[in-house]
Amino acid sequence: MAVTGVMRGVRSHMEQGVTLILNSLTLISILTLVALGLAIIFGLMNVINLAHGEFVTIGAYTLAFTQAMGGNYWLALALAPLIGAAFGYLIEKGMIRHLYDKPVSIILAIWGLGMVLQQGLQIVFGAAPQRVTSPFAGAVEIFGASYPAYRLMLIGFSIAIILACYALLRYTRFGLDIRAVIQNRAMASALGIDTALVNARAFALGAALAAVAGVLIAPLTVVIAQMGINYLARSFFVVIVGGIGGVGGVVAGSTLVGGLEGIMNYHLPVTVSQALVLVVAIVMVRLRPRGLVPA
Amino acid sequence: MSAQPTSTGAARPDAGLSAPAKRRALIVVAVIAALATLPLWAGAYSVATMRDVLLFGLFALSLDFLWGRTGILSFGHAAFFGLGAYGMAIVTIKSGLDPASVSFLGLLAGVGLAMLVAAIVGYFLIFSGVRGTYLTIVTLALTVIAQHIAIGWSDVTGGDSGLIGVPPLTLDLFGWRYVLFDPAHFFWFVLALSALVLLSLWRALSGRYGHVLTAIEDNELRARTLGHHTDRHLLSVFVLSAGIAGLAGAVYVTGTGFVAPDMIGLMLSTEVIMWVAVGGRGTLVGPFVGAFVVWWLQQKISSIDTKLWPLFIGLFFIAMVFLFPNGVMSLGERGRQIWAGVRRRA
Repeated sequence: MAVTGVMRGVRSHMEQGVTLILNSLTLISILTLVALGLAIIFGLMNVINLAHGEFVTIGAYTLAFTQAMGGNYWLALALAPLIGAAFGYLIEKGMIRHLYDKPVSIILAIWGLGMVLQQGLQIVFGAAPQRVTSPFAGAVEIFGASYPAYRLMLIGFSIAIILACYALLRYTRFGLDIRAVIQNRAMASALGIDTALVNARAFALGAALAAVAGVLIAPLTVVIAQMGINYLARSFFVVIVGGIGGVGGVVAGSTLVGGLEGIMNYHLPVTVSQALVLVVAIVMVRLRPRGLVPA
Repeated sequence: MSAQPTSTGAARPDAGLSAPAKRRALIVVAVIAALATLPLWAGAYSVATMRDVLLFGLFALSLDFLWGRTGILSFGHAAFFGLGAYGMAIVTIKSGLDPASVSFLGLLAGVGLAMLVAAIVGYFLIFSGVRGTYLTIVTLALTVIAQHIAIGWSDVTGGDSGLIGVPPLTLDLFGWRYVLFDPAHFFWFVLALSALVLLSLWRALSGRYGHVLTAIEDNELRARTLGHHTDRHLLSVFVLSAGIAGLAGAVYVTGTGFVAPDMIGLMLSTEVIMWVAVGGRGTLVGPFVGAFVVWWLQQKISSIDTKLWPLFIGLFFIAMVFLFPNGVMSLGERGRQIWAGVRRRA
């Protein structure tokens, strides 16, 4: 009897551990997707895209709208990056391009745009949370713990996209252009790279990634017009902590921020753990000003 | 403000105000005097409303001191206003002390809390060389998290609904006690407080200290090379600015009687930027004008539909950047130039 009791205790501890790790991985995946775009945009244009959270919202609303129209989840997952990219491209071309030499103006203008997008969504779709459903219910037994299948799909899908981004930046012409412009814009331009086009495309890429993250997270959260700000603040921490040194830095930053929050959420109220993450991020700035993985 | 090796010494006395500055000072004094008569002829409701607008102006002044004089834009200044507000509310409601005499303690707690948080955050960031947009975003995160805490930590902050029952401000000086219960007296107190902060800042900044800050904003490296401790200067401005914001917040809740999470949140942080931008960045008086104009506009627009107001703010920010990057006040200046040109030609 005693032995089985101990066994059960060990088992439940292990289950909790597995659940904890998978919960953290869910958050880390989402943060990486959102922060990757933020980091690329920041690295390229030295612009902190305050409307980045709105791309997450746009992704989530794409899912809500598609499902409301009778479409299914996978259609939305395919549509969201296209819609996000279109928004990103237009915003870069129409607004940010004209303000590159005025960083404060960019912040104000993008922030204003973010508010317009938020309020526009709220006026069109209403203030109530949008209905979204995940493509499949049910749980999977994994290392003794039963875990929602959808979250496992989310983690796997995110990892695939992150790897694809790594490959894109590392092995393609477009990725080479991005890295060249990040290192030295004038030199890249002199070598014949169309840096303006790189900017616009990178903005579109970042927006598309955030929109995909929005579709993925939507079934796990409350879909409202103001949902973006939480992801913006956290992914900004990711970029500070991880540095803007490409995919590696973002993954390192997300792991620290998401992992910390996942572990602390287990023991502490959400608000306290978020505040502690801010503290850690600020201390990290003092200790490693250029991030965990400097560019 | 700390001791700096000075070569010029006090070569530039503050008293030597230029003629336009003198005229501006005269106008400000006249407006303050005119405002002081308000409780004599306006109703209690308008007096209370104008008191709140003045406090918003004071809050905007704190941001203008930081943004206008050092170029650091804080996107989370409501965090400091809210810390002042919550500090005051929590101490006066939750401490269990005599509610009449506790308000001075609440004021200290509110202002102290705001300055402490600013000092810690500012120390870590400013001394690490974090500047510009990076600093802006950290302040943005600060206000987001402050609001989360205000909503989530409901045992202390009252959660979503906030705390009700903040007693009116009680002045307690050496046994002489006065409760600011009368709206007119409270209004005069707020007017005097705003005027005091405004004129002190104005005087301090029109002297050597202002020149040092301008030098840092223009070219920090050069200012540092000339021997100025730029980190220390920026930190002191940041902390002082947070203290003024906290003061405005702490006094504000004694007027409204309650505190709520929107006093610490992102929306207020955005609005205060708008007040400063409308009034004219770096003008010190402008934020009061901006707070008044925007408050008036908000009444008009929200009365049509409350959803339109955030939309309007968003559009305003975009329009400002593209149409009048130097603030709405610059439109008046440009208009005057055009008018002068027209007259010359005529």
